[in-house]
Amino acid sequence: MRMLLVEDEKKLADLIERALKAERYAVDVANDGLAGWEMADSYDYDLVILDLMLPGLSGTEVLRRIRGKNDQVPILILTALDATDEKVRNFERGADDYLTKPFAFAELIVRVKSLLRRGPVTRSTVLRVGDLEIDRLSQQVRRAGKRIELTAKEYGLLEYLATNPGRVFSRTMIIEHVWDQSFEGLTNIVDVYVRHLRSKVDDPYPTKLIRTVRGVGYSLGEAGE
Amino acid sequence: MNTRSLSFRLVTWYAGLLTIVFVTLGALTFLLVRHNLEGNLLETQNRRAQQIADTLVAAVARTGEGAVPYQIEDLYSPEANDRFIRVTRDDGHLLYASGTPKDHSFDPAVVAPAAWRGPVEFKRKETIPGSDLLIAAVPHSVGGRRYLVEVGVSGSRVEEVLSEFLIMLAVGLPVAVFVAVAGGFMLVRRSLEPVDRLARKAEDITQHNLSDRLPEMRTGDELERLSTSLNLMISRLEEAVQTSKRFLADASHELRTPLTVLQGELESLAQRPQQPVEMAERLGSLLEETTRLSGIVEGLLALSRLDAGEAQAEWVEFDLAELAATTADQMCLLAEDKDITVTCEAARGITVKGDRARLKQVIVNLLDNAIKYTGRGGSVKLQISRQNGDAVLDVVDNGVGIPAESLPHVFKRFFRVDDSRSREQGGAGLGLSIVKSICTAHGAQVEVSSKPGEGSRFRIRQPLAAETPAHSHS
Repeated sequence: MRMLLVEDEKKLADLIERALKAERYAVDVANDGLAGWEMADSYDYDLVILDLMLPGLSGTEVLRRIRGKNDQVPILILTALDATDEKVRNFERGADDYLTKPFAFAELIVRVKSLLRRGPVTRSTVLRVGDLEIDRLSQQVRRAGKRIELTAKEYGLLEYLATNPGRVFSRTMIIEHVWDQSFEGLTNIVDVYVRHLRSKVDDPYPTKLIRTVRGVGYSLGEAGE
Repeated sequence: MNTRSLSFRLVTWYAGLLTIVFVTLGALTFLLVRHNLEGNLLETQNRRAQQIADTLVAAVARTGEGAVPYQIEDLYSPEANDRFIRVTRDDGHLLYASGTPKDHSFDPAVVAPAAWRGPVEFKRKETIPGSDLLIAAVPHSVGGRRYLVEVGVSGSRVEEVLSEFLIMLAVGLPVAVFVAVAGGFMLVRRSLEPVDRLARKAEDITQHNLSDRLPEMRTGDELERLSTSLNLMISRLEEAVQTSKRFLADASHELRTPLTVLQGELESLAQRPQQPVEMAERLGSLLEETTRLSGIVEGLLALSRLDAGEAQAEWVEFDLAELAATTADQMCLLAEDKDITVTCEAARGITVKGDRARLKQVIVNLLDNAIKYTGRGGSVKLQISRQNGDAVLDVVDNGVGIPAESLPHVFKRFFRVDDSRSREQGGAGLGLSIVKSICTAHGAQVEVSSKPGEGSRFRIRQPLAAETPAHSHS
């Protein structure tokens, strides 16, 4: 998997490059819009990560040019702007996803993965983490064969964590996915729900699956995974 | 018709003034005509009397007094000509008096006898039953005796002319006023029509289409100046809005990019396996602070965007009660965690217009606030009701309350009632400011009342989207 990162902030570009390389992706970096367009024009990338505020050629223009030539490659937009109409305009221009700074890197990776997976891959209906089993169709959860009753929100939270076992999800990601943006800034709601979830999923069992990473968020997975 | 409208007021004033002018003019003309007609008539009588005096009376010495009546009858035939003629001697002896005129316009017998005492009234108007008599008198002395010749005519002919004139005025005046008012109204309407167009276009211009301009009036009058100055004002507004938008974009970029780097670096360190516990703790603490900083930056940017009046993402009609109920439901666990009961009492069919996500944020912030400052086992009530065409949302708690001296400040940025208490709750002191700004952007009012130790009530009052009777709402 080879991807192109167009980002003019040197430090941020390095950071994203490192994070992606840690996931074993090959990453090319362009530091301005023009270089970004030239590289996107010359190689066939599997994904383009594009900042909107770029010197040389604006991100919007690069997006337009790439889409003019290739409507297959997934494009993930990074921006410090959050005006919603701007977002809508860029989706209309052919962006596939949109990430507002500051973002958690965990979220970037999740988005990248889901963009790359998009298409032929079928989502399995049953998620398994250790001895935990989540049936997405019937929304039933079992651990060690025993049924666990969850509320809708608890189920949503657990299923979200289970989509990427071992990965840490930030509170913001969880809020946006399980609740909605109105709850941003209300991070303690996540802690409360995780505590409730733990009391049902982890407390009766010797192996704990839900892990807290202080300052970052939560993950689901067997220790050492 | 709008009685406060400029055209109505102009035309009313104009019609009033015109009526006053016409009536005054008519009255003056009437008086002048009457004066002239009567003057002319008297002048004729005077000439005739002079004639009688000069010819007939002067010849009395020669012809004898007895000849005068015959000569008068002969020469003037007053009855046939509807005239009054009387010749009196200074001792009161009546030489001649004409009889009842042919048209019976007056009765000569009731005319007051000639007065010899006092100055002679050469021209007079005598009011007798039936008509006014205009009488000219000429004295003449012959051979030591004085005679008074009086010639008169009925004023009825003058009255006739005058009454015709009055009728003409009575009919013509309203017609003239009507024509003038109608013309004036059309003129005013035509000259104010561009103002109407300007107003309609100006109403259409909002912050979303500030690049639009009002139609240019090329009339060279005050309206052209008005349209030009309005357009200049819109240009300045557009510039100001753009400057603030640019500033927001720049500030967002400059603040968020370093935060992303900071957060990313810390995250990648924190997730490195097999590091000392103390290190992990410190990184976690740093990350928490970074998250808080991000929260404050987001809050401030959101406030600036609201204050700059940035376009609402959406503007739709929705059921406030339903939004409140789902929001309360989503937050109930937060309350349960502290054994707080959250109840939601909502009247049905209360719809408001606005940005649903932002109004939800208002409810979230108010509920979060109420839960935060209510002790274990307390209660939080969410009430939605209808009051005088407004939708009213109350969030009532029986928590710690807010001291009276802090009440006016609770919506200020970074204000905290009690520093130590809310800091450990993790608040940045922006939640209520955001509530206030969102409400302002929606034309809603937010009020707070509280008693320390008993609880607080936050009330939001927003105009209903439309008066929908509860029964027609399903």
